[in-house]
Order: sequence, then C-alpha cells, then structure tokens
Amino acid sequence: MIVRRRKAGTIGVNLTSMIDVVFLLLIYFMVATEFKTAEESFPMDLPLRDYRQTIQLDSEPLVIFVESAGDKKSDFRVRLDGPWDPVSSIEELVLFLRSNKAGRFGASGLFTETHPILIRPTKETRWGHTIAAYNAVVRAKYVNITLDEPS
Amino acid sequence: MARRGNPSSVINANMTPMIDVTFLLIVFFVVVSQIVDRDAVFMNLPAPSQAVAGIPDNQSRVVVNVVPLEHGDVAGIVVAGHTIAWDSMHELSDIVETRLRGGATEVHLRADRTTKYSYVHQVIEAIRAAGLNPRLQLVIEGEQP
Repeated sequence: MIVRRRKAGTIGVNLTSMIDVVFLLLIYFMVATEFKTAEESFPMDLPLRDYRQTIQLDSEPLVIFVESAGDKKSDFRVRLDGPWDPVSSIEELVLFLRSNKAGRFGASGLFTETHPILIRPTKETRWGHTIAAYNAVVRAKYVNITLDEPS
Repeated sequence: MARRGNPSSVINANMTPMIDVTFLLIVFFVVVSQIVDRDAVFMNLPAPSQAVAGIPDNQSRVVVNVVPLEHGDVAGIVVAGHTIAWDSMHELSDIVETRLRGGATEVHLRADRTTKYSYVHQVIEAIRAAGLNPRLQLVIEGEQP
C-alpha cells in the first residue's frame, strides 16, 4: 500500500480580522474615556433657618468684604470691616487672622478659634474669589465661617 | 552575486506580545471608563492657592452643578441627571430633598470659578430650603500631582 504523505504546512488561525477589531475597540475606549479630575472640598453645615427665631451671635463678627475686578485669579480685593489695618492680599489676610488669634503664644489674641467670621462678597464677586477668601480663613484655622448674602 | 536562501520559507512577525499588550490596554480602558464620574459637568472649578480643603467622601452624596455661561452668568443647574432652568429653583429644592430622604447625607456644590456669587448664593439658599440640615461640600479643583 502506498502511503501518501501530505506536504508539511503551517496550520494557523488568521489573526488579522481579530487584530483589526481589537484595535478599533482600543481606539474607541481611548477616545471615549474621560478621566475624572481630582477634586477637593470645603465642608460647610447648612443650619435650618427659622425665621421666627433670631440668631444671636456670641460676639461681633469679623466681616470680610470680597470684591472682584475681573475673572483672573488675582483680580480681586479683600477689605476688613472695622478699625483694622487694611489688607491688600490674601496672604496679608491670613497673616492678620493668624496674628490676632487668641490662645497662641506670641499672638495678641483678639479672636478665638470659634469667633464668627462673615465673608460678604458683592453680587458681582466671582465664585473663585469667594472661595479664595474662604480658604484664607480656613488656613488661619477658624471654624465659624459664614458666607453672607451678597452686598 | 546570487543570493542564497530557501524560497519556500515565510517570514512572520510574532504577534503574540502585541496582542497581549493590546488586550491589557482594552481591559484597562473598559474598566476605567466605568468609573468616570457621571455626575460632574465640565467646568473650571475654583483653585485657590495653598488650598487646605479635604478630599470629599463620594458615598451618599448628591452633586449640584451650576452650569456656567460667559461673563459669570449661569445657564442652569444639573443635579442627579436633571437639568433645571434658572427660574424654577424650587425643583432643585425638591430633588435635593428627595435625595436626602433617600439616604444621601452630603450635597456637593460645583460652580465655575467665574460664576457670580449672587447665583451661587441662590443655589445655596435653595439647598438650605430643602431642609434636613445637609452638609454642603464646596468643591474646588484638587492639587495636580
């Protein structure tokens, strides 16, 4: 009997179409994926407002006025209400709040940590500038901060 | 000079490592695209220098987006998949109240850095009007690594 030998050949799966599909999927997901940006936040409690009761503040609040002159990060002005030296920048505001904080060595101690701080932006003040002032007060480690109605 | 060689031999590139890497990339993008934050509307969040904010808890929250327009104005509000017109603010209070009663404990307020404070203040008042004493988180841009 004559045994016929097959010619030696390579048996393989044709991968071309699969690679095509896989690359299409890869490109789709690369384009469609939107990475979440890192976010942080300032916590703030919203107390229930009862118009029948008047809120009694323990002491006279320190009012910080915030006014915007434009959209840029530095286009704003902070001003303190009262007989205080004027502050011209956020850094000076932080310095003022820190140096007048009670309970620390070397501090003249006018305000306690829980002293009410009122941030009063105007109607036109940009939200970014309001948050910059809020951040300055938090940096000075005060805990009783209120965002007031726009002036 | 005549070139010698086996004319029947086939030169193939080894595709196995490339397919491995490609599949790994696909799996990565498939997984990552599922965890994208769908509640967030794109905007330029405030980015104060030397921010001392914390990283918020993403559990049990309701995200309120104040969608910006040019010149500090507002197009509307997007909350929990609903788009609310600016003149129907009571809807915001209703949705936030429903979410808070449904187990949410925090309200995340996302507003553009150029939005006027008068708009943001109205949104805060509407959230307050929902009652239930929620904790508000004022969202800012995180530090870039």
